Amino acid sequence: MLLFSLFKIEGHSMEPTIKNGQSVLASSLPYFFSKPKMGDIVVFRKNERVLMKRITKIDQSDDGKKYFVKGDNEKDSMDSKRFGWISKNDIIGKVIYTF
Amino acid sequence: MIMQRLFLLVSKILPTQIAYGHCDIPCGIYDPHNAQMAAHTVIRMTNLIRDLKIDQNASIEERKKFIHALSRYTKVKEEHAEIVKHEIRVLWGDYFKDEHLNKYPELHDLVFKTMKLASKARQEVNIDAANNLLETVQEIAEIFWKTKSIKSTKINAPYPSGGTIIIPKQ
Repeated sequence: MLLFSLFKIEGHSMEPTIKNGQSVLASSLPYFFSKPKMGDIVVFRKNERVLMKRITKIDQSDDGKKYFVKGDNEKDSMDSKRFGWISKNDIIGKVIYTF
Repeated sequence: MIMQRLFLLVSKILPTQIAYGHCDIPCGIYDPHNAQMAAHTVIRMTNLIRDLKIDQNASIEERKKFIHALSRYTKVKEEHAEIVKHEIRVLWGDYFKDEHLNKYPELHDLVFKTMKLASKARQEVNIDAANNLLETVQEIAEIFWKTKSIKSTKINAPYPSGGTIIIPKQ
């Protein structure tokens, strides 16, 4: 990915933090210097779809860290329970700015 | 302030991509059952509304009771007609693929009819629209199971709305 990418969110799962239709700027740059941490909102690729969720758990296993992600809107969001934990390779970038 | 301007500038240069914030993974879990149940609920609520009676000389308490029941039935009818639309929209948008449409070209018309009938059943107290809604939903359900190469069967619905439901045989 580019160092910076612009995404428009489709769906309500990150509300009230990020509303349906809102744009965000994501960057891979922060993860050059540090690892993803709890509370980060990340844009990632899963099952050929680009999704946006918040990291809520981190698991350090033998084969590297895994991240549990979920939407802020628990009433309208699927999470890693449904589609599995994600790895750092799945992460496109960290959301650094919302419009 | 400088950072904000910088971000805005960057946003004008970069192309926008879509990031999904809902369950449209796609997760691969689809079933027309919910749409059928919702269509049955629309029938049931329509009948309950039609069966409501009130005497011209009804007391205030009886009138309140009548209005309360009518409001509740209408609310549920509204909600479930919308559920039908939502469920069919998900099948249409996420499940059905080009190859399904090539094999079952009637799907276009069926989905269109279902949406219109759901709106009609919602807007009116119209039992014909409600029954027709269930029929089109069931035709979509039958096609859905065919696309999965799973045989389906029509059984009597165990609901007070009567009629039938389509279920997979396996």
